[in-house]
Amino acid sequence: MITAELLSDLKSILSEEQMIEGESENHLLGNSGQVTIYPKSEEEIANVLKYANNHRKKITVSAGETKRGFGGIIDSADILLSLANYKGIVEHTPGDMTLTVKAGTPFKELQDYLAEHKQKVSLDPAWPEYATIGGIIASNESGPKRLGYGAGRDVVIGLRMVYPDGTIIRSGGKVVKNVAGYDMNKLFIGSMGTLGVVTEVTMKLRPLAKYESLVLLSFPEGNVEEIRSFAIHLLDSVMEPTALELLSPALSQKLIGENLHTLAIGFEDVESSVHYQEEYVKKIQPANSKMKILQQKEAQAFWDKIYSIGPNGAAPAAGSEIEASLKIGVTNLDVLHVINISQQLKDTHNVVVEAHGGIGHGLCQVNLKGASEDIESAIDQLRNSVNQLGGYVIVKHLPLSLRKKINIWGENPSYFFLLEGIKSKIDPNSVLNHKRYVGGI
Amino acid sequence: MASKQIKTNDKHVKNLANIVGGSRSILYHKEDLLAYDSDGFTLHRHLPKAVVFPKDTQEVAKLVKYCSDNQLPFLARGAGTGLSGGAIPMNGEVIISMVRMKRLLSVNLENRRAVVEPGFVNLKLTNSISDKGYYYAPDPSSQYCCTIGGNVAENAGGAHCLKYGVTTNHILGLEVVLPNGEIIEIGENGIPDAPGYDLLGLITGSEGTLGIVTKITVRILKNPEAKQTVLAYFDNVTDGSQAVSDIISAGIVPAALEMMDKTAIEGVEAAAFPVGHPKDIEAVLLIEVDGISAGIAEQINQILEVCNNRNVREVKVAQDELERGRWWANRKTGFGAMGAISADYLVQDGVIPRSKLPQVLNRINQISEEAGLRIANIFHAGDGNLHPLVLFDARIPGESEKALAAGSACLQACADVGGTITGEHGVGIEKREEMRFVFTDEEINAQTDIREVFNPNNLLNAGKLFPMPGRCVEIKKELKEKEAAIS
Amino acid sequence: MSLKEMALKQDPSCTTNSLSNYLWSDAPDENKWADCVHCGMCLESCPTYELTGQEQHSPRGRVHLIKSVAEGKLEVNEQFMDPVFACLDCRACTTACPADVDVGGLIEEARGQIRQAMPLTGWKGSVSKLFLQGIFPHQNRLNSMGSLLKFYQKSGMQKVVRKTKLINVMPQHLVEMEAIMPEIKEPLRKKYKNEKVIKAKGETKNEVSLLTGCVMDVMFSDINESTVNVLTRNGNDVSIPQNQTCCGALHVHAGDRETGRKLAKQNMEAFKDSDKVITNAAGCGCALKEYPELFREDPEWHEKAEEFSAKVEDISKYIHDTGYEKPKAELNTRITYHDACHLAHGQGVRQEPRDILLDIPGVEMVHMPNADRCCGSAGIYNITNPEMAGDVLESKMQNVPDDVEMISMGNPGCMLQMAMGVEKYGRNQKIVHTIQLLDWAYQKEDQLKGGE
Repeated sequence: MITAELLSDLKSILSEEQMIEGESENHLLGNSGQVTIYPKSEEEIANVLKYANNHRKKITVSAGETKRGFGGIIDSADILLSLANYKGIVEHTPGDMTLTVKAGTPFKELQDYLAEHKQKVSLDPAWPEYATIGGIIASNESGPKRLGYGAGRDVVIGLRMVYPDGTIIRSGGKVVKNVAGYDMNKLFIGSMGTLGVVTEVTMKLRPLAKYESLVLLSFPEGNVEEIRSFAIHLLDSVMEPTALELLSPALSQKLIGENLHTLAIGFEDVESSVHYQEEYVKKIQPANSKMKILQQKEAQAFWDKIYSIGPNGAAPAAGSEIEASLKIGVTNLDVLHVINISQQLKDTHNVVVEAHGGIGHGLCQVNLKGASEDIESAIDQLRNSVNQLGGYVIVKHLPLSLRKKINIWGENPSYFFLLEGIKSKIDPNSVLNHKRYVGGI
Repeated sequence: MASKQIKTNDKHVKNLANIVGGSRSILYHKEDLLAYDSDGFTLHRHLPKAVVFPKDTQEVAKLVKYCSDNQLPFLARGAGTGLSGGAIPMNGEVIISMVRMKRLLSVNLENRRAVVEPGFVNLKLTNSISDKGYYYAPDPSSQYCCTIGGNVAENAGGAHCLKYGVTTNHILGLEVVLPNGEIIEIGENGIPDAPGYDLLGLITGSEGTLGIVTKITVRILKNPEAKQTVLAYFDNVTDGSQAVSDIISAGIVPAALEMMDKTAIEGVEAAAFPVGHPKDIEAVLLIEVDGISAGIAEQINQILEVCNNRNVREVKVAQDELERGRWWANRKTGFGAMGAISADYLVQDGVIPRSKLPQVLNRINQISEEAGLRIANIFHAGDGNLHPLVLFDARIPGESEKALAAGSACLQACADVGGTITGEHGVGIEKREEMRFVFTDEEINAQTDIREVFNPNNLLNAGKLFPMPGRCVEIKKELKEKEAAIS
Repeated sequence: MSLKEMALKQDPSCTTNSLSNYLWSDAPDENKWADCVHCGMCLESCPTYELTGQEQHSPRGRVHLIKSVAEGKLEVNEQFMDPVFACLDCRACTTACPADVDVGGLIEEARGQIRQAMPLTGWKGSVSKLFLQGIFPHQNRLNSMGSLLKFYQKSGMQKVVRKTKLINVMPQHLVEMEAIMPEIKEPLRKKYKNEKVIKAKGETKNEVSLLTGCVMDVMFSDINESTVNVLTRNGNDVSIPQNQTCCGALHVHAGDRETGRKLAKQNMEAFKDSDKVITNAAGCGCALKEYPELFREDPEWHEKAEEFSAKVEDISKYIHDTGYEKPKAELNTRITYHDACHLAHGQGVRQEPRDILLDIPGVEMVHMPNADRCCGSAGIYNITNPEMAGDVLESKMQNVPDDVEMISMGNPGCMLQMAMGVEKYGRNQKIVHTIQLLDWAYQKEDQLKGGE
């Protein structure tokens, strides 16, 4: 049997307790492996990759499994390489405000550790308890606070990775400013593990905000123009919101019990500055809107809730209903349209829709729940509308069966040959996350 | 300036001239070309074959295609202010000068972005939107004349990147002419995270070796509501360095955090913009915080407290914009000011982890003593970007060589503590060999592999950024390829 | 100079004369280019670089070419001449340069070499020769040319010429100049021919001498009048040495350094008894201050020139520094101020004229963007390089605010050029000299007093 042969080959690289045979039944989300391995050292990872490369095996990379439903049209690869046991802080010099950490470290673990030093990684991804830093970087996850703090590409200053041929490659470094050679970090951030296995991530840190609050502004009329002009007013002021997230009425209902379009405006700074900014928002508050202000822990609790509203690949919903999650990118203010169009899918396509998007950065997350064919046509419909706005739709979570039907990345870009060229240079045998990326890379 | 006849027998020159519409847009006489034999880095010089001045993307694409089809090496050039030689035509390239593509194409305040042509000058962008209260954040000290196209190629930094990041953090979209003449658009409409590998991030900082940028969408920011600047004098460098770390550790993210040592202070006080720094202090810090007015005072108090805890001799807050301006002028003209105390200087651009500052400064002192040359230190202390200025006199035989060796030793010192060899000036020709201080052969190969995808014939800006070929890297690679072929 | 210069030092030394292709004495000074590190901070300050985007038409490019001739890499030929003579000599690069490289000085020295290597021919040569050698140095000829112009204007011939399109036989740019020729009045030096000293009104505080200037005194004699009025009103005895001559600026700009030296010597003689030499033409003032440059190879005259140049001061700076009576009458007008290159970049006088204007009641100052950008006049540049001068002027005029009534400045060359700009682009501003406005305010004050 093939699996047995594989197992015995792998035994020369790893100890037996580091590997288990794959799931017997087909997983809803696919992306399984005949054998799941849990390497503990970089050397083991390199050896496994070298072996796979030489023996034309396919490897799927995983750790927290939150993104198991993100991309890929293969039920099971030869090896599922899990970094779940490859975790821990490698280096942290508080005075440098930089941190090197192993890829399999769960995000929350990381933040809790840093909080002791009054520092943080300034990213706010979904499912922080499960999602690992490696996965967050590989899938380029960001949250509402991207407006204030940027994304993975603004935070990562160095990566260490294993190439498919087993070579260890470092990109960037440990310093916050670096233009030596190509900015290779960028290439690997968001590459969905198709180029190499990230083993260590070095990031620049931010101080924990001394104070934070959240202004929730709900608009009873649901008038897009009204929300738009308020947002423009706020963005054109000298206020510095760290988040300016528009919630769809359904999501607003779920989070704060108001079935209305709601703007979540986050402020983080020293206390006096935060209150000063709240006052400013009060001053320009549209006449018929409702305002609620949450301070400190309450504000944090709100954001924590937002981070767990989407589907989690590690614990997919059971039952007949299908879950989908979409990442939509448009020009900043077009977020208003996207949220509105998404909201309408509820009636036209009989699906449950929860959507939110950052007016200051243009990225939306739309979560859908419903019957398979409804989800399929809803995604189709949404993609059409977004294309007209010049934007894109990426389906971040979808059962394998539907991923085989829907191109989750959308049309290939005109420069697809470059993406292909990069992939075939680095991973000519397509060992890593085969067909999981744009255009079947 | 009337259009003249093209007087040459070189068919390539004639054909290139035809593409750009005649004699006003091409230079090919030796006398004119000589002005293009280097950029801001003058240690190497070489004449280009010709210099062409396209007016739009189509012309760039045609020029590139022509060069590519005819195996003519070529490169793009902006204002030519680069400090590492990225625009020097070492192989007698056809220089494609982007300076006539200098329009501001659009400004969209609501969505906080602007679209510019590559020849648009950095500072002009801020000047064009400042009346509305907006600005473009990356501010290299050459911003008065450097182009945004060049900034993209070099991933330019500046004094304020500690808080706001460097060029790559502000680029939303690019139109690029690839080395085969094909035009592509990345980050269409300036929307972030387009599906696919982040070519935007890869091309930014690729020093003109992957393609020629012809249109740039940048993020623009709202001016901060308030700004405060502090000057602090220290009697020893270690206290000054510790204060830097303490400020950062206190949870303050200053907009800028600059430091000068005693020798540097001697220079700036002897030059055009003295501000009366005491002559006997060992270090001065220039700290700027900006943001919401209501929060500034608290941060300033914290900074003053930190400085006092680190035995500051004197610390003061700028009383008005005039005083702030004088402090900055004093700092920003620091390099040029060295002319006042030394015949020549060599500037380096290492970066170190902030906490290693005292250690590396000691090492630089040592290097200075060993070489018998003074080294002034002016640096972006906040992000650990050092600019050691090796002072020497080229007229004294052997001193230039000593200075070069000392400069390289400074970079080695940075690399030794986990730092890097360039923070904002780029590798270019200057630091090709020093790339080995920070990267293994395999890592350098990984990068040239990427270049091959974009620039397979290596006609575009060849010989930059990576150690000279023909050495072990290439040989090993050949072996590897043979090995692969066999297996 | 940075280490980067060293690359060149690996070549045989550039200071030995064997390599240099400068064949005449007074060659470009090595010390002037040695400071250039090729950083490029000068680029955007240069009007010709702005227009062409070409390095050889930029300050650092020109410096590099000038240096290359000295190193034997280039010859003094047509191709070299082009960029060197396309320079407006506006000195904006000197202001922009962090290392204080004297680009203007280098350019003038290089022009000296070029003119000797390849004398001018063709119409440019004739015009140049006529103005530089035939007219400017000879006050009487200038006067009679002035008289001729005056006759031409008064006689109505001007109208005839304009109407009958006779004017079209002239090259276009000369036509434009003709259209804005100021009305010619009696020159100051003629008027005060018999007065040794024009006494201060009231108590004498200082004694000064006035350089009346060649063109200024003929074409803009009323500005000279105003200058005398302002000086005497503020306690200055003014003398006008009769044997003074043209400052030589235009000759030096054009590469005729020999004539420049001749004129310099005559002026140094003429003003040898003066403690203070006042100029109201920025170009002249700058030239006088730079006389030492002409005598680098002549220690005796160099010393005299140093002494002389220390005495030279622009009227606006002099008045500002020694104190002046603030006018009380209101001149209700909106104005903008243009920095003459040779005042702002050449002499560092920027704030003083603005302060003076703002001290006049009722004057509202509107900011002109890029106020210190060259207007394209640059001596006789507008005659010799009409196309580039025209482009520079166009870009200048775009910066002139729409809603001002006057444009004030401190240099006659600029005044002619800006007047041409106003005419050419259908604008309606009056062109005035800073000191004229101050004088008018005084006069108005006196009139009002007289009326009481």
